[in-house]
Amino acid sequence: MQDWLIHVSEMFQRAFIKEDRWKLYLGGLGVTLKVALFAAVLGVILGTIAALMKLSVRKDGKRSVMSVIATIYIDIIRGTPSVVQLLIMWFIIMKNCKNGVLVAVLSFGINSGAYVAEIIRAGILAVDRGQTEAGRSLGLSNAQTMMYIVIPQAIKNVLPPIGNEFIVLLKETAIVGYVSLSDLTRVANQVSSRTYEAFMPLIGAAVIYFVIIKILSVLLGILERRLRRSDRR
Amino acid sequence: MIDVKNLCKTFEDGDNQVLKGVNYHISKGEKIVIVGPSGSGKSTFLRCLNLLEKPTSGEIYLDGELITAPNVNLNLVRQRMGMVFQHFNLFNNLTILDNITLAPVKLKLMSKDEAREKAYSLLERVDLKDKADAYPVSLSGGQKQRIAIVRALAMNPEVMLFDEPTSALDPEMVGEVLEVMKELAQGGMTMVVVTHEMGFAREVGTKVLFMDEGNIMEENTPREFFGNPRSPRLKDFLSKVL
Repeated sequence: MQDWLIHVSEMFQRAFIKEDRWKLYLGGLGVTLKVALFAAVLGVILGTIAALMKLSVRKDGKRSVMSVIATIYIDIIRGTPSVVQLLIMWFIIMKNCKNGVLVAVLSFGINSGAYVAEIIRAGILAVDRGQTEAGRSLGLSNAQTMMYIVIPQAIKNVLPPIGNEFIVLLKETAIVGYVSLSDLTRVANQVSSRTYEAFMPLIGAAVIYFVIIKILSVLLGILERRLRRSDRR
Repeated sequence: MIDVKNLCKTFEDGDNQVLKGVNYHISKGEKIVIVGPSGSGKSTFLRCLNLLEKPTSGEIYLDGELITAPNVNLNLVRQRMGMVFQHFNLFNNLTILDNITLAPVKLKLMSKDEAREKAYSLLERVDLKDKADAYPVSLSGGQKQRIAIVRALAMNPEVMLFDEPTSALDPEMVGEVLEVMKELAQGGMTMVVVTHEMGFAREVGTKVLFMDEGNIMEENTPREFFGNPRSPRLKDFLSKVL
């Protein structure tokens, strides 16, 4: 038993303490969070725009050009793997850009936007049509009805799936090693190839991801409860 | 005040013609009550009046202005017509006070203080002043519908449209809503009411219309309408509902 404990603690030493390796993980976590955060912001902005575009109709009730454009964007992004999108961004579209973080943020933001668009569209459609009709019957414009009545209610609907999308996005950033960014996953991998021990670095990375996501989901839960105040009797 | 000429409505899905050339004239101060079997087009007719439903063909004039013309600002037209829905449609994300003041304030018809003052005096009239800061979920159906009427009135409309306002209510709450509507009628408001409440039609209506199969089949004063129905269709309908 004691031998085993000593063995584990030596593994821990080699994986995290020796040569200040914990600083590598911290740096990797920083890259992961930076990419995920900015990509999430970009994704929500793009997703909202794409959702509103996709929902727009012409005056005669047919699909608008905007709607077709948004549909094509969503189709292409959802129809291709995010690793491939990231590599296309890095090696083709932005091949002269040396800023890996920027490339990753753009790639993941555009990717996430497509999923967020569908989440927001569903959230808007889930708001009872009567709410829109009541707004319009009072003389409010379509935009005013959206802004003051439909979207505030849609936000409540979309918060759980958007939270889920943020979590997926955060974990998805583990592929940024492909464009030579040292994120948490890549750092763990590098350390294990240095020490010839995969166990501690990989389990360590997994624990860090888990803790971050746990904190994120707790925060989202608090926000959700707060927004549900008007539903309470 | 409102002139309807040859109004037709066909819904896009299939060739379901709901309105087949309706003609009607509504004068200021009238209380028109529309009855008829379900699927007869009475709700669609009402919803066409404020263009929540876009007519397939035909014309609607509001004080001589053709509001079915393509370049008309519908928002301005709708500001002049209040509407009350079967399912209340109070804004769930807003308090009662905000429900009432949202449109007058955002459309810049009143200042925030004016709108609040107006809202409180209207709430007083329907005896719901204490609910100003509540959210719609906490209200009963009857309370919601009275608030919905107040919300429409806050815009100072020239005409009020009621789309089966008591059909979604528990029986014991029907009376309180009808009472508010009666007071409104006594105040001289022009009203168009689609309803199944024959007692209300008899008591409040200046004219009662019977709609069936997308047309107005019969129109008369309440006394004649109920006492001396002419068409066999209406006789049959009245024998079922009275």
